[in-house]
Amino acid sequence: MQEILPKILTYLFVIVVYAFIYTIIRMIFLDIRTMSRKKNITQAEGYIKLMNLKTDIDFAVNESYELEKDNLIGRSGKCRIRIGDRALSGVHCRIFKAEETFFIEDMGSANGTLLNGESIADEVVELIDGDKISIGSLMFMFVKSE
Amino acid sequence: MKNDNYIVRPLICILLVVLLGGVLISINMGKVNSDTAMLLGGMCLTLAVVYALLRFFPLGDHYIFMITAMLGVIGVIMLLRLQTGHGQKQVIWFSVGAGLFLVTSLVYRFVKHWNKLNKLYVIGGVVLFLATALFGYSSGGAKSWLRLGGFSFQPSELVKILFILTLAGVFTNEYKKPKEGDLRIKAFYNTKLGRNCAATVVAYVFLLFLLLQRDWGTAVLFFAIYIAFMAVYGEDKRFLLLNGVAAILVSIVGVSFMSHIQIRVETWLRPFHDVSNKGYQITQSLFAIGEGGFTGRGIGAGSPYYIPEVHSDFIFSAICEETGILGGLAVIMLYFVLVYRAFKISLSTNNDFNKAVAMGIGVMIGVQTFIIIGGVIKFIPLTGITLPFVSYGGSSMVTTFLALGILQGISARRREIEDEI
Repeated sequence: MQEILPKILTYLFVIVVYAFIYTIIRMIFLDIRTMSRKKNITQAEGYIKLMNLKTDIDFAVNESYELEKDNLIGRSGKCRIRIGDRALSGVHCRIFKAEETFFIEDMGSANGTLLNGESIADEVVELIDGDKISIGSLMFMFVKSE
Repeated sequence: MKNDNYIVRPLICILLVVLLGGVLISINMGKVNSDTAMLLGGMCLTLAVVYALLRFFPLGDHYIFMITAMLGVIGVIMLLRLQTGHGQKQVIWFSVGAGLFLVTSLVYRFVKHWNKLNKLYVIGGVVLFLATALFGYSSGGAKSWLRLGGFSFQPSELVKILFILTLAGVFTNEYKKPKEGDLRIKAFYNTKLGRNCAATVVAYVFLLFLLLQRDWGTAVLFFAIYIAFMAVYGEDKRFLLLNGVAAILVSIVGVSFMSHIQIRVETWLRPFHDVSNKGYQITQSLFAIGEGGFTGRGIGAGSPYYIPEVHSDFIFSAICEETGILGGLAVIMLYFVLVYRAFKISLSTNNDFNKAVAMGIGVMIGVQTFIIIGGVIKFIPLTGITLPFVSYGGSSMVTTFLALGILQGISARRREIEDEI
């Protein structure tokens, strides 16, 4: 008995270390899987596509964002499309769909929203395929899927 | 909620390892004393505090510290089993290191412009080396120790980090357009070839100091880091070729003229030729590993004291003897995951400089582990270098924690940005 108990405990010791490695690798695996899932954008009815070169940007931003019925864009947690750009306001602008057409509206942002280079001020403007939306330091192109 | 399980489970594993280790030491060594219990308790407390801080403040990656904690715990258990005094100091060093890890990660994250201090890093490295050359004393064949107010430490450990920061800066800093009236050397520095040359000069100056100290293990480590940077950023095959030639030349000179190296190579090729004298250390290490077999003799049941320096360079042999090859492989796998983590952080950060630093740190930990484990199992010639986080030693523990703190800071910066999305 005095021989066997330490032996078994040593086995247990090694097994626990392996269990630890297993859980860590599993966590890392889950991490990677959720990351690659994030990139899979299925074609929605419309999406906005980033026009800037990604290498010029020092915060995380996706290459494209799907649009749903109502999309707030800005830095705060309320927004469906959250981008950590310092030049954006908390809630910067809103893109929403009404009767199969997308509209854009500025939400009183500090730096304003430009559509094809012109400020939209406090109007609600219809978006047409290929429109260029400038917010903060970013420029997006609006694409409407058929 | 389901996710919480994955975070709690590794912690339970670490606690179990501490518990089992403690019980095994007290059964096998017959010393059921409060010292061991208190030290292990202290270790757990440190882990808990640091982990809680990481968990409840958004300080970045959680894995790095958990893997380090596991390695540290295994090291402390082995040291407590070998000699309570060493274990005690190791617990203190681990706590100091862990504290520094948090501080470094915060400092690195909130102080910007780390990439613009290149000259400072080089000067710092040279000053540390000069100080070692002038005031240092030797231990274990290498004159690489410096005493400072009662503490001895190896400056080369600190220079490792400075070296990585320097190379990262040299290769990723923006190229400036040369202006009229600029010095010619400045214009040359702003070309690809100039950058490669600058990195090479820095690397060779540091290597020269290390060779003068006769610290060959660290020299190989520095060289490996430099080669990794050249391979990734150099984009010039001529340099790799020249470095290969230089490495071969230096090793030929070393093998033919330096007795220090000759002994290492000879004991590597023919360890059993002179078992009682030159080959004593390496053969004892091999006997210990062989004695352990697959499953080991049990923690506290082995006889690792035959190996000289078992608490520092040869701790891996002791682990193999007492927990078997399976235990040894587990330790190697822990390093694998740690290095993987470093490369992952390097891949996912946006900042070029941070990318290079994270890569350098990953290479550093990986190569260091390879050199010492390869050495004690007689896969490559033995060179004295510590096994990060497991070997006994304050300066190694603290500086490796510093490096990981930088890595943690980089990962936090990235996560901060992700959270803002």
